[in-house]
Amino acid sequence: MFEIILLLVKVVFTLVIYLFIFGVIRLIYLDIKSMSISKTDNVGFYPYLKLINQREMLDFKVEENYTLRKSVIIGRNDKNDIVIKDPFISGIHAYIMAEGESVRIKDMGSKNGTFVNGVRLNEGEIIPLKDGDNIKIGHVKFLFVSIGK
Amino acid sequence: MLGAITYRRPLNLIAAFNIIGYLFLFFSDEPYNWMTLAVGGAATFIICSACLIIIKRNHGDEYLILIVSMLLSVGLMMIYRLDERLGLKQLVWIAVGLGLFFAFYHIYIKVDKWDRFAYVYIALSAVLYLVTLVLGRNINGAVNWIVIGGFSFQPSELCKILFVFFLASYFKNPDNLFLEKYIQDKRLRVLLNKVLLMLVAYCNIGFLVLQRELGTALLLFLTFLLVLYVFSKDLKLFLLNSAFIVPGVIFGYFMFYHLRVRVDAWLNPWADITNKGYQIAQSLFAIASGGFFGTGIGMGRPDMVPAVSTDFIFSAICEEMGIFGGVAVVLLCMLFTYRGIKIVLGLKDRFKKILGLGIVTMIGLQTFIIIGGVIKLIPLTGITLPFVSYGGSSLITSFIALGILQAISNPKFDRAGGEANG
Repeated sequence: MFEIILLLVKVVFTLVIYLFIFGVIRLIYLDIKSMSISKTDNVGFYPYLKLINQREMLDFKVEENYTLRKSVIIGRNDKNDIVIKDPFISGIHAYIMAEGESVRIKDMGSKNGTFVNGVRLNEGEIIPLKDGDNIKIGHVKFLFVSIGK
Repeated sequence: MLGAITYRRPLNLIAAFNIIGYLFLFFSDEPYNWMTLAVGGAATFIICSACLIIIKRNHGDEYLILIVSMLLSVGLMMIYRLDERLGLKQLVWIAVGLGLFFAFYHIYIKVDKWDRFAYVYIALSAVLYLVTLVLGRNINGAVNWIVIGGFSFQPSELCKILFVFFLASYFKNPDNLFLEKYIQDKRLRVLLNKVLLMLVAYCNIGFLVLQRELGTALLLFLTFLLVLYVFSKDLKLFLLNSAFIVPGVIFGYFMFYHLRVRVDAWLNPWADITNKGYQIAQSLFAIASGGFFGTGIGMGRPDMVPAVSTDFIFSAICEEMGIFGGVAVVLLCMLFTYRGIKIVLGLKDRFKKILGLGIVTMIGLQTFIIIGGVIKLIPLTGITLPFVSYGGSSLITSFIALGILQAISNPKFDRAGGEANG
């Protein structure tokens, strides 16, 4: 009896360590994935979101620029393309659809709403973005920039 | 609230690891020892709250402290199981170290002019070396301890960090640190700077050799070479310095009896198993007796290995947590190094880049040197396994280094500086 318990505890113990390692690897992977979106070197070819807030005033991690090479989902979950850990941002907050020239934004049923130029989006409403639009999500304010249009 | 209890969060797994381990230790011993539960609870609380502070308050990178917490948990559990008194002491050191970790995180960000103190780093390490030479006590064949009022301390550990700081301030604007005002001729100045750099580096290593602290000397030398390779454009200087390995090793081999014993024990520990090869042979026996899942915590006999709570803790882990546990420790150290290098890549400030890389390589190489020594891959040199081994000076130094790395990793305080492209 004791032997079986001992073996069980040992296996569970080892399992916990490896789950931890896998968890850390997964989080690092997600972190690097979100980093590739926030790289700024391609600004000028793609439309991008520019942070209006002073970065020092926000107590969570947010980049200066987010390039919209493809459609992205913004939210607090680690699985999103743009992860912002603002407590006022929902797990899956907003969806930005980038198809060639046109960029549109959709609220994904967030609690505190997505605002474009101060107007809150209705649920399911899809709004095309144009250069210079203000987007407010939680505490974070972005300026939408699409050059060459 | 219940949503927080998920296996997906690494922090929960650290707590689970500690709880399972200490509960097992508690129930496996027949007269129940309530101290086990107390130590376990305190360790879980201290380690998890440190992680929570870093994650919740957004003090930069959160993975470094998570990985280190796991290493600390493994180490503390093992040390407590080997010797309850040492375990309690280690718990106190961990608490002090975490305090220093947060203190240095804030001090580093507050001061923020660390690249201007190059002369201070040199002077401070010189003072530490001289004090050790004068007041040093001989413990286990190495004259590297200062004992003040029953409180022993190893100054050479601090010198490692000072040396990295010095390297970072030197390579911030390569070959321009010394004699800027006195020598106008640029080529002469660069040459003299390189000579002085090597002088400082080899003085550091020389003092360590004088203290018979060969492991740390090797560590410092390898870190120096690596930083030179990455950040100096002068390939000849790197080749010249790496050529010093051969005469250095030959000189050391014939100079120190100590080193000859280690090399002999490495080549064939079975030849003199009762004396010279005893440590290595016991360590290998311990690792081999563990098997895949180990004997279970508290079930093996790792106390047969000499110095098991400090240098040889890896063999104790292998025996009681199995080769899976040992590999997990190696994996954790690899993840730590990888994460550190990733942080360094994202930095703009050249001084911070060098400092970060120096700290990361130092911790990574230290792990390699001691684990390699314990498993008879390379000759054994007595240094500690960072964050796992017992030892106040080593733990505190590692925590100070981690605090600095944590401060560097905070992108809010990063700005461009120093010579571009590195």
